[in-house]
Amino acid sequence: MPAPNIDRTLVLHVAKLASLSLSDPEVDRFASELRRIVGYIEQLDSLDTRDVPPTANVSVDRAPGRPDEVAPGLDRDEVLAQAPAVESDGFAVPAFVE
Amino acid sequence: MSALVHTDRDVRAIADRVRRGEVTAESVTSASLARIGEIDPKIHAFLHVASDALDQARDIDRKRARGASLGPLAGVPVAIKDALVTRGVPATAASKMLASYIPPYDATVVARLRSADAVLIGKTNMDEFAMGSSTENSAFGPTKNPCDVSRTPGGSSGGSAAAVAGAMTPCSLGSDTGGSIRQPASFTGTVGIKPTYGRVSRYGLIAFASSLDQVGPLATDVRGAARVLSVIAGHDPRDSTSLDVPVGDYEAACDHSVRGVRIGVPSEYFAEGLDPEVQASVRAALSALSAAGCIVRPVSLPHTRFAVGTYYVLATAEASSNLARFDGVRYGLRSLGPAGKRDLRDMYGATRDAGFGAEVKRRILLGTFVLSSGYYDAYYLKAQKVRTLIRRDFESVFRDVDVICSPASPTPAFRLGEKSDDPLAMYLNDIYTLPASLAGLPAMSVPCAPTSAGLPVGLQVMARPLEETTMLAVAAAWEAESRRTLP
Repeated sequence: MPAPNIDRTLVLHVAKLASLSLSDPEVDRFASELRRIVGYIEQLDSLDTRDVPPTANVSVDRAPGRPDEVAPGLDRDEVLAQAPAVESDGFAVPAFVE
Repeated sequence: MSALVHTDRDVRAIADRVRRGEVTAESVTSASLARIGEIDPKIHAFLHVASDALDQARDIDRKRARGASLGPLAGVPVAIKDALVTRGVPATAASKMLASYIPPYDATVVARLRSADAVLIGKTNMDEFAMGSSTENSAFGPTKNPCDVSRTPGGSSGGSAAAVAGAMTPCSLGSDTGGSIRQPASFTGTVGIKPTYGRVSRYGLIAFASSLDQVGPLATDVRGAARVLSVIAGHDPRDSTSLDVPVGDYEAACDHSVRGVRIGVPSEYFAEGLDPEVQASVRAALSALSAAGCIVRPVSLPHTRFAVGTYYVLATAEASSNLARFDGVRYGLRSLGPAGKRDLRDMYGATRDAGFGAEVKRRILLGTFVLSSGYYDAYYLKAQKVRTLIRRDFESVFRDVDVICSPASPTPAFRLGEKSDDPLAMYLNDIYTLPASLAGLPAMSVPCAPTSAGLPVGLQVMARPLEETTMLAVAAAWEAESRRTLP
């Protein structure tokens, strides 16, 4: 496939998908660095992989499932102590419903 | 008490003396702490030294005084990569995102070290979220190579390698996603093992790329690393990728004869870009193994040159997904961003912008891009297919040989700053360690003859899945030979 044009618009689009706020100089720098890295990755195109199955994981076949049983979890107070903000025994976040 | 010294103060010597009561865990731990205090201000291997290290040691001494038998790592100070969580002790993954995070649980490997009567002496520096090959991507400043402080110790487990190379601890734990144990071991003259994918539990390892990550030991010698591996290996119901298969006797494997063991030497690993002195050192080790009775023969792994491109698609895709958890909600940093409109999405964006360093952002962006609509098939799916080809290369070669040997890295340790402004050059440094990671194979680095400038060189030994024993036998045979022949 033709190399994508990795410009400011694409970097800003991807940054939005990744929930990353980037500064203006960062957008320019990442666009230029990603162009080079993706340019290098394009070498994979030289391989014919039409009949090759993908490998998602190298050895899960011998990993057994775990019995679905109730077991003690982490201590709630110890976990909540790590939260940036707590309200009514839960994680507090800014409003997200208009 | 004098500092720990390689060879006479290795993992086994310490544990066995503590078990026999010839030395106390407290005195060993004091010596380790003194050495850290003496040289770590120059090296910066540690992000955190455990305030309760001496208490842990005294508990072990009391346990022995009560007549209880001690575990295989009795009184051995172990340094832990800061990507592993330890209850009540900071775990930052060398990121501002987790600068003040205190985990509420122990990683399984940490719990196993405790059960083996090891002393958890501190947490080591690393590239942020294990993304890097030099430990320069730490949010808390780089680690220096104890063999030459103008050079990097490699990465991402650079702090764990430097702790061992600097004789601060006889062993440490690292994690290896694309070479992050083997390359620093190679750069610092230590032994580092990446076990088979699934051999060691990752429960409590802060995830980078889940189809690749594996925890493993670094140590002053092969047998010491083998003993630590025996302690941490084995099935863990808390890690769904952990294999329920028998664990070998890794220490005994170091005494197995290597006569008749077939070693494949892939021509693709001795190609352009390989430092001539590294090549000579590795070739000399292979000649010695041949003289010791191994059958050394050339093999071909034709898709090797595609490993870097494949890895940097798959690892970044997985990282972009794994690192989505750092959103300022449950733990770690929260930033609300500039005043004014402050909704949840603004908080996510501002938190991630403030918490992540440049390399982590670069990889999240690349990983999100290769998974995004319109590009998934061309990059992510393509890389998964090439991963199959790389894996098949190994399957084919392992029909004819028992292990594969190569350099662990194309060059000795590079200088601090030498590659830090060129991400692609940094990535290309991983070319010899990435293929075994993509194929899920056990692989390790063991020191061979240093360069004329005295810089360490690592011989990489790779084996079939779950055949750590064969790998260790070859590594130990070379180590024995090297101690006989090298200064």
